[in-house]
Amino acid sequence: MTAALTCQDIVAGYEPGLSIVKGATISVATGEIFAIFGPNGAGKSTLVKAIAGLVPVTGGSVYLGETDITQLPAHRMVHQGLAFVPQTENIFANLTVVENLDLAAAIMKVDRKRRLPELEALFPDLARLRGLKAGRLSGGQRQMLACARALVSRPRVLILDEPSAGLSPKLVEVVFSRLREVRDSGVTIVLVEQNVKAALAIADRVAVLVDGRERLQAAAADLRDPVVLADIYFGHARQVSA
Amino acid sequence: MLQLITDGLIVGSVIALGAIGVTLTYSLLRFANFAHGELLTWGAYLTLTFLGVFMTVSGGGVMQPIGPFSFGWQLLAGLLVAAILTALIALAVERLVFARLRRKGTAIVLVIASFGVALALRNLVMFTYGGIPEYYSREIQIAIRVLPRDVWGGIRITPDQLFVLGLTAVTVLCLHLFLTRTTMGKAMRATSENPDLARVTGIDVEAVIRLTWIIGAMLAAVAGAFAGLTVQVRPGLGLDLLLPLFAAAILGGIGSVYGAVLGGLIVGLGESLSVPLFGAEYRAATAFLLLIGILLLRPTGIFGERP
Repeated sequence: MTAALTCQDIVAGYEPGLSIVKGATISVATGEIFAIFGPNGAGKSTLVKAIAGLVPVTGGSVYLGETDITQLPAHRMVHQGLAFVPQTENIFANLTVVENLDLAAAIMKVDRKRRLPELEALFPDLARLRGLKAGRLSGGQRQMLACARALVSRPRVLILDEPSAGLSPKLVEVVFSRLREVRDSGVTIVLVEQNVKAALAIADRVAVLVDGRERLQAAAADLRDPVVLADIYFGHARQVSA
Repeated sequence: MLQLITDGLIVGSVIALGAIGVTLTYSLLRFANFAHGELLTWGAYLTLTFLGVFMTVSGGGVMQPIGPFSFGWQLLAGLLVAAILTALIALAVERLVFARLRRKGTAIVLVIASFGVALALRNLVMFTYGGIPEYYSREIQIAIRVLPRDVWGGIRITPDQLFVLGLTAVTVLCLHLFLTRTTMGKAMRATSENPDLARVTGIDVEAVIRLTWIIGAMLAAVAGAFAGLTVQVRPGLGLDLLLPLFAAAILGGIGSVYGAVLGGLIVGLGESLSVPLFGAEYRAATAFLLLIGILLLRPTGIFGERP
């Protein structure tokens, strides 16, 4: 299967000379859900922000399909088909729900009359919340809106930074089942997660990041063993067949 | 009393137009631009320059006033050119100074740099135009009585002042429609709220920043020209208005365009109403007092959101 997203030896960080990601390599196949795990401070969020163009990449390369997007500005990446949902502050709180979606549609020159009903079918809550200020949404509703906003442009790859953060287990289940539907519609998904159990339930493949480098890439099915899971969180790399 | 309120609204409308630029720049770039007042000065002087050019071109260096106003079409055309050139000055300053510092420095570096830019722009005005106050027109305006004297002292207002009030209202309405109805306006609001999220939504944040400078500078030019029209054109015009501009922006809630307008009107009214209480010499201190009061009572301003 062809790679939808390839990161080769990525070095990235917020300050010059102070790298947080220190040579990470991941390859995400088209149509899969790819989860990135790792202990706190491993550089997971920095890696996905670097891929999305929000953190400077000082080494390595990022390919979206065949296209080198390493040094593209973040807004141009969206036009290339890469969408990103940040962990926090991932909606425009001062705009209404529909304005959030309308803005994304207008910027991406998407036919809103066709696309918005599709997204409201995928996230039915949003239809009845259209006129509400996004800042007044609950955690789960915000996450749905953030996903919908990112999907307006029909991206090839959707990256989510901890979509389960701050959500109740029931809401995590709802959000993750929606992500599965998104994947089934043909979108490749990359997600950074602390909720390993929930993420493993929907992921096809997994990478473990420790101290800014990937220690492991494996099929999710191979990591459902609790002992292996414990190893991941104690930072011991274990050879698992990919 | 009503006359004082009317005078306050006229002064306040000039402050409001200038404060919109301050609040837009702050909300998007997260720094207080103390050079904004100088954009008012440059707007006023460039209007004067192109008023002269259009008067010469249109015949004999004479301006035929429109109706009851003290100015002719040449002033309006001059203002249009001045607004464009003021926007170019703002873009040049952004490119040469602020954009470079933003990549490396913190907000405080930008604030200090804005003091330097203000000094440079002010002295460039002095160098180019000299320090003698100028007027757009020497026509004597007869104030119209809008309300008789026996109704709370009545109201008298010159046609030029009415024009300033009317055009301010139209400008604010246009800005409101731009921010709420157009994609670029919504992109500006989104970018001021969360620049990184704006980027991953596909918004070209650098283009939005440029547009913000253009709008802020054009409004500053209009405010400067209005100040010149109702008072006089002088190198200290922008510096004298700087504190009221910031007081208005903070009073309204930094980042809020409507807050800046309301803040401008309140500061204008405050200045005007303070004259019979404390005397005209303390008029400028009113903005200081209002600013201190606002910061003590409601630091986020009227429309500002509490953190």
